[in-house]
Amino acid sequence: MLEPFHLPFVQRGLFEILILAVPAGLLGTWIVLRGLAFFSHAVGTAAFPGLVLADGLGFAAPLGAFGAAALFSAGSALLGRREEEATDSAVAIVLVGCLAAGTILASDVFGSGANVETLLFGSLLLIDGNDLVLAGVAAGLTLVVSLLLGQRWLAAGFDPAAAAPGAGGWLDLALFGLIALSIVAALSVVGALLVTALFVVPALTARLFAERMLSWQLASVALVALEGTVGLWLSVKTDAPPGATIAVVAGAVFALAAGGRALARSHRRAPALALAALVALGALLAGCGSSGSGGEGLRVVATTTQIGDFVREVGGNAVSVDQILQPNTDPHEYEPRPSDVAGAAEAKLVFANGDELDSWVDQIVSDSGSDAEIVDLGAIVPERRPGESSGAETSRYDPHWWHDPRNAEAAVTAIERRLAAADPSHRREFQRNARAYLAKLRALDAGIARCMSTVPASSRKLVTDHDAFGYFADRYGIEVVGAVIPSQTTQAQPSAKDLSALAQLIEREHVEAIFPESSLSPKVAEAIASQTGASADYTLYGDTLGPEGSSGATYLTMEAANANAMVRGFTGGRQGCRPLS
Amino acid sequence: MPAAELIEAEGLAAGYDGAVAISGVDFSLRGGQTLALLGPNGGGKTTLLRALLGELAPLAGALRVAATCGTVPQTERSRLDYPVSALDVAMMGTLPRLPWWRRPGRREREAAAEALDRVGLRALAEQTFGRLSGGQRQRVLIARALVQDAGVLLLDEPFSGLDRPSAESLERLIAELAEEGRAVVIATHDLEQARACDLVLCINKRQVACGSPDRVLEDLGVLEATYGGAIVEIPGGAGRAILPPHHHHH
Repeated sequence: MLEPFHLPFVQRGLFEILILAVPAGLLGTWIVLRGLAFFSHAVGTAAFPGLVLADGLGFAAPLGAFGAAALFSAGSALLGRREEEATDSAVAIVLVGCLAAGTILASDVFGSGANVETLLFGSLLLIDGNDLVLAGVAAGLTLVVSLLLGQRWLAAGFDPAAAAPGAGGWLDLALFGLIALSIVAALSVVGALLVTALFVVPALTARLFAERMLSWQLASVALVALEGTVGLWLSVKTDAPPGATIAVVAGAVFALAAGGRALARSHRRAPALALAALVALGALLAGCGSSGSGGEGLRVVATTTQIGDFVREVGGNAVSVDQILQPNTDPHEYEPRPSDVAGAAEAKLVFANGDELDSWVDQIVSDSGSDAEIVDLGAIVPERRPGESSGAETSRYDPHWWHDPRNAEAAVTAIERRLAAADPSHRREFQRNARAYLAKLRALDAGIARCMSTVPASSRKLVTDHDAFGYFADRYGIEVVGAVIPSQTTQAQPSAKDLSALAQLIEREHVEAIFPESSLSPKVAEAIASQTGASADYTLYGDTLGPEGSSGATYLTMEAANANAMVRGFTGGRQGCRPLS
Repeated sequence: MPAAELIEAEGLAAGYDGAVAISGVDFSLRGGQTLALLGPNGGGKTTLLRALLGELAPLAGALRVAATCGTVPQTERSRLDYPVSALDVAMMGTLPRLPWWRRPGRREREAAAEALDRVGLRALAEQTFGRLSGGQRQRVLIARALVQDAGVLLLDEPFSGLDRPSAESLERLIAELAEEGRAVVIATHDLEQARACDLVLCINKRQVACGSPDRVLEDLGVLEATYGGAIVEIPGGAGRAILPPHHHHH
């Protein structure tokens, strides 16, 4: 029953949530009393420009987040005071300003990398010492300041006119500032989208039953701790992301409590009914046992879909692969599941893409307490292209190396050697599998080259969503004319000038087709296509494989499908490509 | 010995952002006296109360207030959903005089309990504020002002929404508080309540009249200037009443 809490990374998560229960529960009561739910939800999101600045100028992310959140709080407090009742509108105005500033900074000033957004998505499974310290500071400050100022906050909210006139300003600032600090501390736990699950929902639930501030605050703190603990336990049991699980638990408890209370007003037996419902829910949840990966043989972690495919091909039945990214998931929205960390804890080998595409894997491995070797395949492959030339993109190399099959060959060879070293008893099997797969890779490479040679060089002009196909283009003599998104983060937006320049380029170069990527929204590509008369009918697999059953389900079929789509796009649909047959 | 003047206003004008909302206010009030502030909605009663509280600086003239002002807002405006007891609310009155780092302690608690006792609510000290009746809530808010040792009490429409017995006992309480040496200012719509005060000040953007109820309330011209003619003679000699704005008489 309690075995999840024996895992070291779960223990750290538990500490973090228990510490955060103090500021979340205490401040939650003030958030509910003062009607600051929207503000507290917005403050996490408003941290975005601070994260971009921290990333671009190279200082600590929590500092940037807190700076932006503090400015946002002060702006909302000041504007809200002038507008009297219109606090929500003030918050909305300042929030829009923050998001706009963040987007402009990310798109046009720094050309930020994808790692900026990942800071807005937290995980209770990736808690390090700094997170614990930040949470501890937030908890300590909240406790002290609440003790000192709690009565004044109460009086000011109860009756602003009668509470010491003129004192409301700094009281509000202190409250807003504490909320900003605590929510920044919670960002690394549940992310910006779910902070209200910690700060608002438990306090609202406890409010249903509490008659006095003190009992309400104690109950809120206890409820955050309880829901956090249950949610964390449940997430390990069911292998769901912990942040979302805690949010679901908090929501369910609130629904039960509110329903129970409503029933209690009409029926005498309602408390018993509510208790029965709670027990039933608990039993149901307990029944959701972990499916577990349960595979046998050498345990290996692969970060991306294509690396997972390589390892499965080489390892066969002798290796059990824990693949972290799933098909068609945006790596920016990635929150590790307990099984990812547990998988890393038991793994002997971790195969990573490198070049900043999956830099979070280091943390997963170190937090899991694993001594697995991380193999950076990007550092091994022979063909390299420079990374983003401008902006703060820290990668020296373009991370999409797998789109050149010769790099795939090198990666597969490296995987075979590492597997053999880790499990010599299956050396022969790995060698046999690798040989067979390498032959298919070479056939794929030759097949695509054959297809492309039938297309006149002047027609091989590529415009895609973002610059993921440089390796493919280099290999097969394709000219990359442009990309719709100038930066790698999906938070960045192409400016009107970028788009019209691209449209002119497309017309001047007689580009036949624009290729949207399967994991991104095709909207912008379609808009440019309709403006220029180029087609946007052929999608490409860029960052991830497609789901099972799709034409991009494996590396081989994905590259074949991309080649086919490009040939059709280049020739206006007159010609196709089947490199695997 | 005549009690000292606690409020003195001379040609006072006040308003918001430099715009004059009330002007020509001239009156003085001693400890032990009650003053009824009569006027239509939007006539400037609340503006004058805020000026007395020190929230609005005089735009012209002079204002001297020689005692702590305790304000008693309309109870409809207070937050009934707050998880606070009557005692908690009364204790809020101790905060302005404590340094910011001090929490109310036992002394403040006792002062609040005493104030509740003074308004006749000791038995209900632990009751949740939102569950009290309108008259009881008004008393709790008065207790909160008493806790501040307020020499001047400012009450904004204390009788609105109260039934007859509650209003009468509140009236008695106010009279007692004045007899103990406080100056009491009551903003009201009710001519009968005003008649019970020592002084009546009629205000409609500017001070229309100020004096004893006999003098001011019998002068139909004053009332018309104050209320713009919305006064009706109640048939059967029951007196006069003021029609609230936008109320159509059948």
